[in-house]
Amino acid sequence: MAKEFTLPELGENITSADVLQVLIKPGDMVSIDQVVMEIETDKATIEVPSQISGVVKEVNIKAGDKAKIGQVIFTVEDSSSNKEEVPSDGTSSKQKASSQSQGLSAEAKEMIISREEVKKEANIAEKPKAEAEILPKTEAKQGGIIEVKLPELGENILKADVLQVKVSPGDMVKKDQIILEIETDKATIEVPSEVSGTVKEVFVKAGQTASVGQVIFTVAQEEESSSAAGEPAAQPTGKTDASTLEAIDKSIIDKMTSPEKEEKVVKPEEISEQKQAETPERGKETSKEKLVTPEKPKLYIEERAQTDPSKIAPAAPTVRRFAREIGIDINEVPGSGPGGRISISDVKAYSREVSKKQKQALEAPRVGAGVPAEQLPDFSKWGEVEKRDMSNVRRKTAEHLSYAWATVPHVTQFGKADITELENLRKNYGKRAEAEGGKLTVTAILLKVVASALKTFPQFNSSVDMQNNAVLYKKFYNVGVAVDTDRGLLVPVIKNVDKKNIIELSIELNKMAEKARNKKLSLEEMQGGTFTITNLGGIGGTYFSPIVNSPEVAILGVSRSQFEPVYIDGEFKPRLMLPLSLSYDHRIIDGADGARFLKWIIDAIEQPFLMALEG
Amino acid sequence: MANKTQLALIGGGPGGYAAAFLAADLGMQVTLIDLEKNPGGVCLYRGCIPSKALLHVAKLINETEESSKWGIEFSRPKIDLDKLRSWKESVVNKMTGGLGILSKQRKITYIQGRATFLNPKTLRIEKMDGAVEELSFDNAIIATGSLPTQIPSLMLNSPRVIDSTGALALNDIPKNMLVVGGGYIGLELGSVYSSLGTEVSVVEMTPGLLPGADRDMVNILTKSISPKMKQVLLSTKVVKMEDIGSGIKVTFDGENLEQKEQIFEKVLVSIGRTPNAKGFGIENTAVQVDKRGFIKVNSRLQTDEPNIYAIGDVAGNPMLAHKASAEGKVAVENIAGHNVEFKPAAIPAVIFTDPEVAWCGLTENEARDKNIEVKVARFPWAASGRATTLDRNDGVTKLLMDPKTERILGMGIVGPGAGELISEGVLAVEMAAVAKDLALSIHPHPTLSETVMETAEVFFGQSTHIYRPKR
Ligand SMILES: Cc1cc2nc3c(=O)[nH]c(=O)nc-3n(C[C@H](O)[C@H](O)[C@H](O)COP(=O)(O)OP(=O)(O)OC[C@H]3O[C@@H](n4cnc5c(N)ncnc54)[C@H](O)[C@@H]3O)c2cc1C
Repeated sequence: MAKEFTLPELGENITSADVLQVLIKPGDMVSIDQVVMEIETDKATIEVPSQISGVVKEVNIKAGDKAKIGQVIFTVEDSSSNKEEVPSDGTSSKQKASSQSQGLSAEAKEMIISREEVKKEANIAEKPKAEAEILPKTEAKQGGIIEVKLPELGENILKADVLQVKVSPGDMVKKDQIILEIETDKATIEVPSEVSGTVKEVFVKAGQTASVGQVIFTVAQEEESSSAAGEPAAQPTGKTDASTLEAIDKSIIDKMTSPEKEEKVVKPEEISEQKQAETPERGKETSKEKLVTPEKPKLYIEERAQTDPSKIAPAAPTVRRFAREIGIDINEVPGSGPGGRISISDVKAYSREVSKKQKQALEAPRVGAGVPAEQLPDFSKWGEVEKRDMSNVRRKTAEHLSYAWATVPHVTQFGKADITELENLRKNYGKRAEAEGGKLTVTAILLKVVASALKTFPQFNSSVDMQNNAVLYKKFYNVGVAVDTDRGLLVPVIKNVDKKNIIELSIELNKMAEKARNKKLSLEEMQGGTFTITNLGGIGGTYFSPIVNSPEVAILGVSRSQFEPVYIDGEFKPRLMLPLSLSYDHRIIDGADGARFLKWIIDAIEQPFLMALEG
Repeated sequence: MANKTQLALIGGGPGGYAAAFLAADLGMQVTLIDLEKNPGGVCLYRGCIPSKALLHVAKLINETEESSKWGIEFSRPKIDLDKLRSWKESVVNKMTGGLGILSKQRKITYIQGRATFLNPKTLRIEKMDGAVEELSFDNAIIATGSLPTQIPSLMLNSPRVIDSTGALALNDIPKNMLVVGGGYIGLELGSVYSSLGTEVSVVEMTPGLLPGADRDMVNILTKSISPKMKQVLLSTKVVKMEDIGSGIKVTFDGENLEQKEQIFEKVLVSIGRTPNAKGFGIENTAVQVDKRGFIKVNSRLQTDEPNIYAIGDVAGNPMLAHKASAEGKVAVENIAGHNVEFKPAAIPAVIFTDPEVAWCGLTENEARDKNIEVKVARFPWAASGRATTLDRNDGVTKLLMDPKTERILGMGIVGPGAGELISEGVLAVEMAAVAKDLALSIHPHPTLSETVMETAEVFFGQSTHIYRPKR
């Protein structure tokens, strides 16, 4: 069945608009509220959101056209099931009709209103006041069927985007099991089920917008539990709402990285007049006041900071409060404004990132840093312990290396290069490099050698794409060099090493190392590497087995060179020998290749001509 | 049978009534208990409001004297003390009566009486009309404020020795008066009496007035206030007071004292305020008091008894009305289930002397004590057009900034109107404004508020009205 989308009303006295851009084409999936075109009236540029969802069949308009109000813009093949009685966005059909006649999304309307300065219409969807407390509403129907509705998401939040639906008809759900993931512009929220039973019908799907109070799904309850619909087990107090809330509280708010595990004080409903007016039936349902007494507080006045603004995150009070309410530690949020000032959008972006990370951690629980941490023993039983928080660099390093260690099957190949001759050359030409601001180090020379080796052995310059069972060969040669700084290990990347001569490389390397130590490295300067060199020669030791800096596939470790007796032409001669350790990803590099690669490097160091010949 | 309430508020000062009103607005059933007929507390009955009414009068009198410099001479004012007193009382009654009406409109149960905790769930209330009732509550907020600090050794049961309440009562205008304590209350009330014609002496134990405030600001105040006072004795202690009938004989101890003993008609003891945490039964609860006598609370203003909160003067420094109100709101929001904390970046403080002294956020003293690196920019009011038109070039505006981010961390102002001007500093600190934000915000000319903008310009070495040779 095809549905039509017509150009909605744009405001008083506007009958047509110029089409600037059409953002869909036949075959595309569109969802409700997705922006499908951009038009321009003489008042404003407007992004037009779709009112319907499905696969686009026909588009009847193109950029440059004039579109009239009511004109059919495109049609969709209705992909949703034939349950026409349940409007996909959950509003009643009456509401829907009226909102259709009003035409545009609240946002677009707001725009028009503000430009035209027509009347002050107050249908702005949200105010910056969030509460992460949510309260799924259930209603027992006859016969043990329970309707689970989208709970309240906070003041003035009337709807949310459905990110994921985690149940389908026939599934068994348990109380507190996460059934839905939604996103408001405040945060991503996981909605737990309030009841146990078998899912009968699901009325929302990912990509849709769900309204507060809308029935999300229905559950058939087992006989004995059907009576317990509104009365979760083991609550002697009988404070139904409160106990439910507490359960939800834990599962959601805790997940939203709230640092304190304090039980929250929850009052089911504040009866602000506005709210009552908006949702009269809900007001009725929960208007009974309930004050839940929280746990004992833990902080005392001694810890209450005197007002010291230098200790308070640079953010407006509303922003600080908002972060606290959605369970984000404002001090963790990177600010994008002048002086590092943190805006609401910074907090939202950070919150989204946190939820994404958590999701990833949940989805791939066996990988790398996702391995659940073992409980530490109480060391203080044996002596004094000082606890220091990890720096960001340290944390990232830890996460990244555990990931590399867990995913890359490592093999380390050892070898020694005779650098006696090279050392002479290095001394002779050192001055020249210095004159140009570089430092002719072994690492600088190795950069060049490695670049040539990578060209000869392309699999060492690749990455493994397990998701697509592919190997990605990179046609650029960017070599990272591990630098030891007082903040921890940093790896600036020297780009296009193959296109630069050794003097140039030595200058750049010098600059990068300095930047790393002075905390001046940009993110960009640490990205895009295809291979890494780590040189511990300055400190000592013979060999070590470096960890591959995934998604690269190999890393060259360099240790301290030493004079050793080497048997040459029938006698022992003192030669300066450089120990090298090559770790590689055994998934893509075979042992023989590893040995060849290292041998090639050693040969090139000993006979630089080889580079010119082969590299 | 005990009555029951969702939220009981003990104390109807700016902490208590602000909390009660918000709680009622949020739909709670609220009982507010105070000793007075109406809400208002110390602030309205015997603190901020009456003192400011009288300081307004003092300023007017001062200006009639200053105007002689501009060729306008007034004869000495005739002071009708009864009329002045009743005007002051009418101000207080208007405000407290208004609060009473607001409380009724919000359907708050207001009880005039003294509340005592019987246990963490019940109060006993001795009503003013003699009746006694018990009230059980889900949550309670203690907002009992503070009382003038008294030193027992100096306690004289004499009508000649008064505290701030006695001074505000305005029973007479003594010929001379000693103000013990150079804090803001002593200086404000001393100024009132001085302008009414009393010869006022101030004695302060520490080496400077307004202990705690930044010295550069205090110095300006001291310079302008000293000529109006008979004497300002610093680093001096009162060791003995004796009522000798015709006056109070006061014995001082300190260096460079001309007279170790002096006789005063009245002595105003204003040596600080003590939290009022005793005598209403908190020992029957788990609520704890710290060494300084404040009730211990966490950042949500919650005491050790989880359903009991404490706010305002009784819950910690600074003892200021606006801090009490702000805390009251945070406590109520927590009770209502919101996840909020009392963590302001700036609490303003204003001394309503002439000139006024005001600051907010970080002070230079604090920065020094806590080893916080700051850059300070000062704009002397000598360069302000508006200050010149007022013939008041004695002021200064200063900003404290983080040298790296240029974020405004604090502001200090001395000069007439400083109390009104400081709010821009509060906003700047709370919004994490940087110096450039203030410099780029256009301020109206000619106003004293321009000094804020120009101070920010001073930070960049580009103040329009100050020439700074290039380094
Ligand atoms: C002279 C003077 C001038 C001041 N000027 C300023 C100013 O300019 N700006 C400023 O911000 N602050 C000023 N203050 C300070 C300000 O008054 C206090 O910070 C403020 O009043 C504190 O409010 P609160 O709610 O904590 O308690 P309070 O205002 O102290 O109120 C406490 C109330 O609790 C009542 N109470 C106590 N125990 C019981 C009980 N057991 N049962 C029932 N009721 C009880 C008391 O009667 C009182 O009414 C001034 C104070 C004084 C003395």
